[in-house]
Amino acid sequence: MRWWVAVAWIDQLLREGARRVDEVEVFFAKGIAVSADLKRKNINIATRSDECGLGIRTIDKGRIGSSSTHNPKKWKECLNAAIASGKLATPQRWDGLPEPVARDHEEICHDPLLTVDPETATGLLGQMLEGASQHPVQVTSGSATLSVGTDIIVNSCSVRYTSRHTGVSISLESIKDQSTGTEFAQSCFMDIDPFAVGERAAFLASHSSGGQEIPSGDYDVLLSPLAYTELLGAAFIPALNGRNVHVGRSLLAKKSGESIMDSRLSMYDDPFRQKGLGSTFWDAEGMPTKRIDFVRDGVLLSFAYDLRTAYRYGKESTASAIRGGGSAGTAIGHHNFIIDGPRTGVADERVIYVNGVVGAHTANPMSGDFSVELSNAFWMEDGEFQAPIRSAMLAGNVFAMHKDIGGISDEMRQIGSMILPSIRLQGQRVIGK
Amino acid sequence: MSEPSSIRYHDLRHVTGQSTLIDIDNGAVESAGTSFFNRAILRVLGSHGWGILQIDNFSPCSKKKFNSLLASASRLAAVTRQDVDLSEATYHALGVPPMQEDPRDVSIEEKTSLLSEIEQAARHPDIVNRRANYIERSEHILFSDSSGHEFSYEICRSGFNVLAVASRNGTVQMGYERVHSVSGFDLRHQQEYGEKAAKVAIALLDAGNAKGGRMRAVLDPELAGVFAHEAVGHASEGDLVQEGSSILAGRIGERIGNDRLSIVDDPSIPEFGFEPFDAEGVAVKRTEIIRNGVVNAFLHSRETLAAVGHGIAGHARAMAAEPPLVRMSNTYIENGDSTLEEMMELCKNGILLKGSRGGQVDPGRGIFQFNAEYGFLIEEGECTRMVRDVSLSGEILSTLHGILLCGNDRSMHPGYCGKGGQSVPVSDGAPHILLENAMVGGSGVD
Repeated sequence: MRWWVAVAWIDQLLREGARRVDEVEVFFAKGIAVSADLKRKNINIATRSDECGLGIRTIDKGRIGSSSTHNPKKWKECLNAAIASGKLATPQRWDGLPEPVARDHEEICHDPLLTVDPETATGLLGQMLEGASQHPVQVTSGSATLSVGTDIIVNSCSVRYTSRHTGVSISLESIKDQSTGTEFAQSCFMDIDPFAVGERAAFLASHSSGGQEIPSGDYDVLLSPLAYTELLGAAFIPALNGRNVHVGRSLLAKKSGESIMDSRLSMYDDPFRQKGLGSTFWDAEGMPTKRIDFVRDGVLLSFAYDLRTAYRYGKESTASAIRGGGSAGTAIGHHNFIIDGPRTGVADERVIYVNGVVGAHTANPMSGDFSVELSNAFWMEDGEFQAPIRSAMLAGNVFAMHKDIGGISDEMRQIGSMILPSIRLQGQRVIGK
Repeated sequence: MSEPSSIRYHDLRHVTGQSTLIDIDNGAVESAGTSFFNRAILRVLGSHGWGILQIDNFSPCSKKKFNSLLASASRLAAVTRQDVDLSEATYHALGVPPMQEDPRDVSIEEKTSLLSEIEQAARHPDIVNRRANYIERSEHILFSDSSGHEFSYEICRSGFNVLAVASRNGTVQMGYERVHSVSGFDLRHQQEYGEKAAKVAIALLDAGNAKGGRMRAVLDPELAGVFAHEAVGHASEGDLVQEGSSILAGRIGERIGNDRLSIVDDPSIPEFGFEPFDAEGVAVKRTEIIRNGVVNAFLHSRETLAAVGHGIAGHARAMAAEPPLVRMSNTYIENGDSTLEEMMELCKNGILLKGSRGGQVDPGRGIFQFNAEYGFLIEEGECTRMVRDVSLSGEILSTLHGILLCGNDRSMHPGYCGKGGQSVPVSDGAPHILLENAMVGGSGVD
């Protein structure tokens, strides 16, 4: 059965909705995922997930309503709930859902060669274990997941977009004595290197063993893309959210046009990035996506907007609406958030390399202040890992730490919807023993 | 189609229901609506390990269809190599705690109006943003297994959060309050929480940064509860012990704290982490993880109990259609006999930490971190200057010895705990505790 025949009920839904409210938007996602999990070195669980979600949004005289369900056969109940919720919402300025825009409907997050079966997942785990065997560690757990799915966005203004996507994600955890090491990789394509992931997880555990204490003081710190992602996601990214900016939850609200960080740094969202995990031609509201320059050469230029926020505050949508699946609502986010700038040798001079942090989510999302425990921290010099650091805390501010940086690395890494280099920070407060 | 012969055990957990969310942001009702969910998980234990099907939009089916699902799960189980065994278990369903007022009997219009009163209570010239959320989730859970057990229950969890953001001269701070329970509708006459969120946010504008380092710390019941959860609870989870990711593995009978310290997890008490039975249908009971300073038991599912021992099954929990994981429920430090005044006096110079912004642990490394909402310096036994953005980290095995005194004023606080991509409702609690040699993180300097 062709896809559009299988979802003919969506046309019925649109007709029924259009009869009762000004506009209707439907988001429908369906997919399959298969995963295999390791308990130590053996697979103990193999899982198949059949996922299905329907989200409906209605707009009537500026009142926005929404609902969702896992059962598309109950779309009438869901539509009724969406319309009822709209009646309670405070009305706002609303200038309409988007109309369709011609785009190359090339699928940028779909790999036809990616097979979703337990044997492929098992093979990935085997290669990770082989990589891990390069170091004397105990593997504690691991996972490999393969997925394929289709999302559709349809609205009463004739938008009718369909996109297929595939995904592979793997992870491995290991331990040596009391030192742990975790590594992972994700891609829309079957282009990941499971051996390297296993080897890195084992290296981190093995090389962190026997760490020494360091005295409290101010040190130069090199945050890996992982540690950097955790801190940015907890406290910096929310400050670029247009809604937070206009309702008083962003420290950057009144700094548009000002220099807010080192002039060597730029931050942008590139929704068309080749092999980007968040690459897409339209956002979760069907708006055609485009590059957004949040910060260029240290100067704050733009914030992220969805339609609702843009209409309310007289701005333009930056096509930054995202959804976490059919049954999740829309929110302001980004597609591929990238940090860029001139590259330097960030590890030539002695520095504390920080692979990860414990407790990034406890950062203060308003002020940007954080104090976190370091995870897999080492001294590094001439680009080489040296002695491991047993434990220490890093206390700082996610806005202030960008003011005068020591540089960013050549290598970039994609972690979820962020693509970041390592960043060298100068004179950061480290609390040791 | 008949049931595949390689199946040693199977169970089905089907969760249906609806959630109501209300979001009021600076006086505007952003959303106030209801969504519906229907998810199931079928687990099959094959010759070695588990084959699992997660199904959105599940409906009870014929024997023939069910057997074909079992066959699908069985084919998945065929790729497993870990030999999984299940312990014997006790089966019993507790009654769901009675609600004084059922949230489902209150109209969404009234809920929105009551939430608005809480949000409005945070109004103040220094407050630039007020946000209040109401969350209500009503679930029907149906469990059945191949041993003939079949249980069901319906539970409604509800509550609210209120956030106030204060701003002055480029400084931005927040206050955050939350109330969640299984005991019924709790949105009436709660404006004091909006007022408190605003008061804390404004006070924090003038607070200083704490100077990091080792010192004596008094933790309030909410933060001490998070301490119990992060520093001990996770490391006692049987799956982590089994795979070698917990520093508590092999330490049953070992003293890791002073003899005043007992830490308990109890899914059977009517707090936010209550479960009538666990995600494997097993009866829930209290487990004393630490008894008088000695490691006494781990938290277990049937699988981890069979593999590790020391404890009882009944601690497996799961989100809808997600595989059961060993999880905490209501975790707390038992009362001691000290008063707060005695702690402040013994502390003499240190820090009083209040409220929680959450925490995290690496149980294999034995390192934990959590953050207070705010604190006060303690000087000569008296609370003095307010400080902000202060966290606490430590090593599980050495930090517990540092608990010098436990108070007699335990209270429980609701929250959500994340593990393996699943978030479940929990509560943590403790009396005030006095901690020696605490590793306090802050960016302040002399």
